[in-house]
Amino acid sequence: MFILLCRRKILSLKNKILHFSRWEIIKNIVFISVGTALLSLLYYGFWRLLNYLENVEVIGPVLSWKLTGMVLLITFAMIVVSSIIISMTTLYYSSDLKFLFSCPIKMRFLFMDKSMDTIFYSSWTLMLAILPYIIALARVKNFGILFYISYFAAIIPFIMIAAAFGILFSMVIMYLFPSSRTRDITWIIGSLSVGFVYVLFRFSRPERLIRPNALEVVAQYINYLQSPTAEYLPSWWLTKGMMSFASGHWGDFALYFFYLLSVSIMVYVFIIWLSEKFYQKGFSGAQSGVKFRGNRSDFFEQKLSTKIGFLKEIFIVVWKDRLLFLRDARYWTQIVLIVSLILVYLFSIKQLPLDSQNIKSLVSFLNVGVAGFVIAAINLRFVFPAVSLEGKSYWILRSSPVKTETLMAAKLIVSGVPAMLVAVILVFFSNKLLEADFFISFLTFATIIISSIVVSVMAIGIGAIFPDFSMENIHQIESSYGGFLYMACAMGYFALVVGLESWPVQMHFAQIYGRPNAWDFEIVSFCLIFFIILNLTAVLIPWKMGVRNLKKHEI
Amino acid sequence: MIEIKNLTKVFSQTKALDNVNLKVGRGEIFAFLGPNGAGKTTTVKIMSGIIMPTSGCCLVYGKDVVKDVLAVKKEIAYIPDEPFVYNKLSGYEFLRFIGDIYNIDVDFQKKEIPKLLEMFDLSKEGDELLESYSHGMRQKLLIAAVLLRKPRVILFDEPTVGLDPKSIKKFKNLLHELASKGTIIFMCTHILEMAEKLCTKAAIINSGRIIAEGSIDELKRKGSSGGGEKQSLEDAFLKITEG
Repeated sequence: MFILLCRRKILSLKNKILHFSRWEIIKNIVFISVGTALLSLLYYGFWRLLNYLENVEVIGPVLSWKLTGMVLLITFAMIVVSSIIISMTTLYYSSDLKFLFSCPIKMRFLFMDKSMDTIFYSSWTLMLAILPYIIALARVKNFGILFYISYFAAIIPFIMIAAAFGILFSMVIMYLFPSSRTRDITWIIGSLSVGFVYVLFRFSRPERLIRPNALEVVAQYINYLQSPTAEYLPSWWLTKGMMSFASGHWGDFALYFFYLLSVSIMVYVFIIWLSEKFYQKGFSGAQSGVKFRGNRSDFFEQKLSTKIGFLKEIFIVVWKDRLLFLRDARYWTQIVLIVSLILVYLFSIKQLPLDSQNIKSLVSFLNVGVAGFVIAAINLRFVFPAVSLEGKSYWILRSSPVKTETLMAAKLIVSGVPAMLVAVILVFFSNKLLEADFFISFLTFATIIISSIVVSVMAIGIGAIFPDFSMENIHQIESSYGGFLYMACAMGYFALVVGLESWPVQMHFAQIYGRPNAWDFEIVSFCLIFFIILNLTAVLIPWKMGVRNLKKHEI
Repeated sequence: MIEIKNLTKVFSQTKALDNVNLKVGRGEIFAFLGPNGAGKTTTVKIMSGIIMPTSGCCLVYGKDVVKDVLAVKKEIAYIPDEPFVYNKLSGYEFLRFIGDIYNIDVDFQKKEIPKLLEMFDLSKEGDELLESYSHGMRQKLLIAAVLLRKPRVILFDEPTVGLDPKSIKKFKNLLHELASKGTIIFMCTHILEMAEKLCTKAAIINSGRIIAEGSIDELKRKGSSGGGEKQSLEDAFLKITEG
């Protein structure tokens, strides 16, 4: 029966691939090519870093293994947390579960099928992301093909053990507190932990690892390097296994591989045995809704809509979207992560080793590009999916006399305004921390306000060009081709903005350094006109195309 | 009234509607019948302005659904077979949202919504999130939303799926009441017994073409073998669609 369940997945995948249209094939090729290019860049970065570490005198090889241990420990922790979050959906809220539960399938097979989904979805991106690191490590240490074979053999039980934590946690917690509220609380706790670990990791200043002189006592540093990184966790077994393999200690390698394999088998035998007792009850409980008592007083937007009549429809869609946003725990988890991101961002700015005032101002200017990238990424998560998130309920607005433009404008307000707020916080506080001069502070502040509005409009527009009302979650929407196109456009836009503004900024610094007639107002006028044209183009083209496409879109 | 003229809809290579012509008058309860995939849902989606036809036109009280889609949408209410709603709104909030979108007077909404919730036995659940509603409860809520608006045309796609017998009875009475006040009811259904008892006129569509149209009695006669025996709409439907 379990084989039958697996076969349905293989068949679905096969059918999907075989029925790709020419357009889909082209899109996939582009997608894979860009992904490969990004992974290659990552590989290059890791190779440079590992090469540098390896060549540090005396402690070089120890340093690179220490770093490997830390990378694997972080990977392990990330898989644990994402398996907690993902298993709540795969085990209890997959769309096919009601059908599968009604079929004469043994509980353990059903559980194994959904556990496989959990293992896959919680680890595949991380596995892809650390692959460039592993290849770089193998190249720096001159390992051959056998290293890769042993790595892939050992990484499978490693992933399975990490994901088992999440699966076990979800199953036990759902058994003890069987309600959909449990899922929401787990998601929030999960994202709080990720945010906390992320902030803590950054605040611990890991850059000190490659600057040994930062530690007061060198012996203490060497001791730290030689000590195991969480020796009772599978990440250390994997690191030790790889180290043993590298030094030709086959017996030790076999021992650590045995640890990984035997623990993974034991854990899954236990979980599957437990699923026979726990899974059904948890699933039944998960279907019960949350008790919610709303009140019937008018919302702020409803009151406002009666006063500002011509914006009435926008306000109505805004109050609906605001309620949906605030009542969905999935968004709270995202907000927690964004707050962590802001903290880490500002901390990193504060830690920059800059001494001259002018360098600080220059970094403040370049910071627009970095903040722009962050905003583009936040928009990809919150603004770009806004139209598609109407989902299967889109028929309500589609059959109503609400104009497409109104719908998109409301989405822009609900999702674009908070994104703009994040952009303003990032740039305002970065400027404060860097003590940027008035010209740079004004320029960067004005730029980020305009640019964040522009990329939000762009996100809504491109989101409307590529709407998908059948998607079940935000991740699917943001990782679509439309999401990819949006990111490419937004990045290109920020590159042009920074490039364009670098001329007046150059003149500003030339004036500071006392060059006579530093300002060429013809060039400044050209920059200004080009800036206006660029922004109008970046706003109007995606918006108009989005409106036209959404009007034509058939559901 | 509704006038559909030479309506054609092509999806990629497939002709979902092929030159469809129909007329439905004021106060009529019209049954739109046909096997699965015949083109019923496509027709109502075009009438409600959700999708556009490839050619032909659909006039609702003289307004063209292609040229004046917003005006048509104000006249029409559409209830799909799958009642997808906003799961994180309460029943009361959903009705307020619909009332606001269709520009219904706020004081009227506040007075009317509790009555509508009461009418459909949803008072107790009115302030609960829609994610906790069953299929039938959502269907009832959508019908309540239609009543709040009082449109001139109502399009139903399988309206009784998920409704309990008491609600179905209530629904039937409601349709009679609305039709008597001049509302056009256009209903896609597979429940031929209900269509036979409830509807004044009907049309049968198959493979995108209208193959029979008229009053219920006329359709029954069309489906008879000529022996004069009394037969049901179901028998007539099967004969017409298979023949």
